[in-house]
Amino acid sequence: MITMERVSLRYAKADPWALDEVDLDVRRGEFCFVVGESGSGKSSLLRLVILEQRPSRGRVLVAGHDLGELAPRRVHLLRRQIGTVFQDFRLLSGKTVHQNVAYVLQVLGASRHEIRQRVPETLDLVGLKGKGRRLPHELSGGEQQRVAIARAMVNKPPILLADEPTGNLDPDTSEEIVAILDRINRAGTTVVMATHDTTIVDHFRKRVVQLQDGQVVRDQAEGGYRQAVLP
Amino acid sequence: MRPGFLLGEVGNGLRRNFSMFVSVVLVTMVSLFFLGVGLLAQAQVSTAKGEWYDRVQVSIFLCTPDSTDAPGCTAGAVTPEQRDQIESDLQGLEPLVTEYFYESNAEAYERFTEQFRNSSALESVPQESIPASFRVNLSDPSRYDVIRAAFEQAPGVDSVEDQREVVDRLFAFLGALSWGALALAVAMVVCAVLLISTTIRLTAWTRRKETAIQRMVGASAFSIRLPFILETVVAALLGAALAVALLWATVRFGISGFLSELLAGESGLVSLVGERDLWLITPFLVGGAVLLAVVTAWTALRRHVRV
Repeated sequence: MITMERVSLRYAKADPWALDEVDLDVRRGEFCFVVGESGSGKSSLLRLVILEQRPSRGRVLVAGHDLGELAPRRVHLLRRQIGTVFQDFRLLSGKTVHQNVAYVLQVLGASRHEIRQRVPETLDLVGLKGKGRRLPHELSGGEQQRVAIARAMVNKPPILLADEPTGNLDPDTSEEIVAILDRINRAGTTVVMATHDTTIVDHFRKRVVQLQDGQVVRDQAEGGYRQAVLP
Repeated sequence: MRPGFLLGEVGNGLRRNFSMFVSVVLVTMVSLFFLGVGLLAQAQVSTAKGEWYDRVQVSIFLCTPDSTDAPGCTAGAVTPEQRDQIESDLQGLEPLVTEYFYESNAEAYERFTEQFRNSSALESVPQESIPASFRVNLSDPSRYDVIRAAFEQAPGVDSVEDQREVVDRLFAFLGALSWGALALAVAMVVCAVLLISTTIRLTAWTRRKETAIQRMVGASAFSIRLPFILETVVAALLGAALAVALLWATVRFGISGFLSELLAGESGLVSLVGERDLWLITPFLVGGAVLLAVVTAWTALRRHVRV
């Protein structure tokens, strides 16, 4: 679903490499944590996937698109296949929960009938049934992140990227949020989540890709946040 | 993006940036008003030129007792014999001379006193210093030289004057007026372009969250930009409508009403621009406003809105 072949990235010639010869293959339906300290290249990696950034070297393939050959005017077609969730939720404060989620479908030209059907369905999926009329400031942080997840998923993209989605949340709420992502993954969506939340990674035991100074230093199935030291 | 949602977005955008919207409307209105005035002044020149040239005459002023420097006036005021000679020479110049009439010293003085009735200098001008003249219409006004050559040195002739020169000075003035208005229009259009760019930049800033989300979920560049462009076009159209209304009021009440009555009272000469001329330039004003809005908005959006 997401393939990176010897991908390197630096933002300016004088800068050190943000990503250095990264090879990565995330298969359809996988759940993958990308871990590492701040500045290790997690966000840069996600930016390459949604083509916020083009790599300095190497090849990136996402959902069948070779991003190096994707014309700028076709980038939006790629982004329709990827849902994105951020640490700071990025909700529209003047719109209700329902309107925030419906906005995506409206922008993409869905019919009223589709919107009436899919928005409540998606709110239900993230556990916000009956809260459609609330405004974002009336919700807790965890609930706001659920709205953001609903917004990312309402168009049913095959890929969901989450950049530190639990960064602003307490441990219990964080676990609930990742449980929702896990549920979405089990329904068939490929999920890539960048995080430095040790407890979460250790708890969910998914594939872990660890970055350090822009390089993949570990790629482990069912891994923990830190590599287990064998006795 | 469905039309209903698009219109809602445009309406929201206009409400949120209402003061900027009003300023774009006003600047567009003022720039198009000056553009319209410039175009109408040019139309006035071409409307009036034909008619005025048809009516202007060559005047052959005859000697008065005061005129001494002209070679034909050495004997003092014109004599009846000299006058008859000039008249028969004029008849000899047909068909170049299509029509002529004689304005006697008394008639000329009457016209003079009527024209300058409000001037205090009138009393100091004696009747005999106002010259009698022949007013001559030519079949081809550009062949004025023929008349001048024939009569300038003739006995009893003080001077030969082509009224076209006077009219040309008037046209030069009207021309300058129209170029002045057009220059102002250009300056205002530059203002409009800069203001639209700034407005787009501000609007893009206030809506950065929305556009970021649109971009993230895969809206095309065109559909992200479309509401901004439509808002600018609405402002430009409203400005154009106000400018046309203002020009209409100027033509209807200023020119067709006030000015034409004033001028008709004086001479009955002038044919002035009217509402028809305004309707002829209206499509260009409106089309120009829309084109300007779209091009400026598109250029500004490329700079200020990431898609």
